Amino acid sequence: MRGRKWRRDAHSKHRPQRLQLTSMMDILTVLLLFLLKSFVVDAEVVTPAPGVELPTSSADSNPESSLVIAVSGESILFANEPIASVADVLAQDDLLIRALDQKLDTAYKQMEELAQRRGKEAPEGKITIQGDRAIEFQLLQRVMYTCNFSGFDQVALAVVSEG
Amino acid sequence: MIRKRQRSLGEHVEGDLEILPLMNLFVVLIPMLLISAVFVHLTVIRMNLPSDDASATPPQRERLELSVSITDEAWVVKGRRLPDQTIERLTETAPEELRTVLAAVKQGHPEEEDVVIVSEPTTRYDDIIEVMDASRESGLPNISLSGS
Repeated sequence: MRGRKWRRDAHSKHRPQRLQLTSMMDILTVLLLFLLKSFVVDAEVVTPAPGVELPTSSADSNPESSLVIAVSGESILFANEPIASVADVLAQDDLLIRALDQKLDTAYKQMEELAQRRGKEAPEGKITIQGDRAIEFQLLQRVMYTCNFSGFDQVALAVVSEG
Repeated sequence: MIRKRQRSLGEHVEGDLEILPLMNLFVVLIPMLLISAVFVHLTVIRMNLPSDDASATPPQRERLELSVSITDEAWVVKGRRLPDQTIERLTETAPEELRTVLAAVKQGHPEEEDVVIVSEPTTRYDDIIEVMDASRESGLPNISLSGS
């Protein structure tokens, strides 16, 4: 206690007490630059749906904004809304998922209307599938068949980049 | 200017940078950027499903019809005028072997870009993506999926 008091007195004799902020500023500057860079690179942010663990891949094409179908272990989500359960879909013999088909049809008609107003012919049938890494091919096949059936033929599979 | 310098000389003021306003800026900016930062970089694999319009051009040359079948324990690479090649897929070096085989096929048929991945109903999505990666890296980017 005595020692500390003595040291403070000796210090304040020469200059007033001040926070040494320079080293902290260095850290903050580096952090700021790093964050700004990552902010610029990922301009178009696509968030994976909750409960979906995407597979890793070496693919490097950037995601485009489009409709998203998420397929988790339990249910199929369209626009973040569960619309069919995986068990039901696998139980049916038909490849077409009716609930998903209805939603996609509505979405396609809206896009068609928009395209007509803008004077374009047909809308681009772009869709992104976010599939959990553990789902089986028969489920993926049904989802893709339904997409194709509703006119969405440009399918992109979302994956996590390895690099 | 001169007056200022004279005054500062007279008062012996130390020339410290006034960095507190900058600190305030950082304290606001950094949490904002941290919240919006994306640490998992998402990419996509593009696939073109067969569309029902008749504009698809008929093949002008004889196709190789290259396919990779995924079974429980192996990958089978098949193609017209090619010997079937089976690769055990549960070993450590299996992905490398598949890449080697596909790259060899690509070297023999440089104009070939299509490959069909034939899966069983219970094949995991992960495994399909793995084969897609291997074929894309071997120069066969047009991938289609098929059931067995």
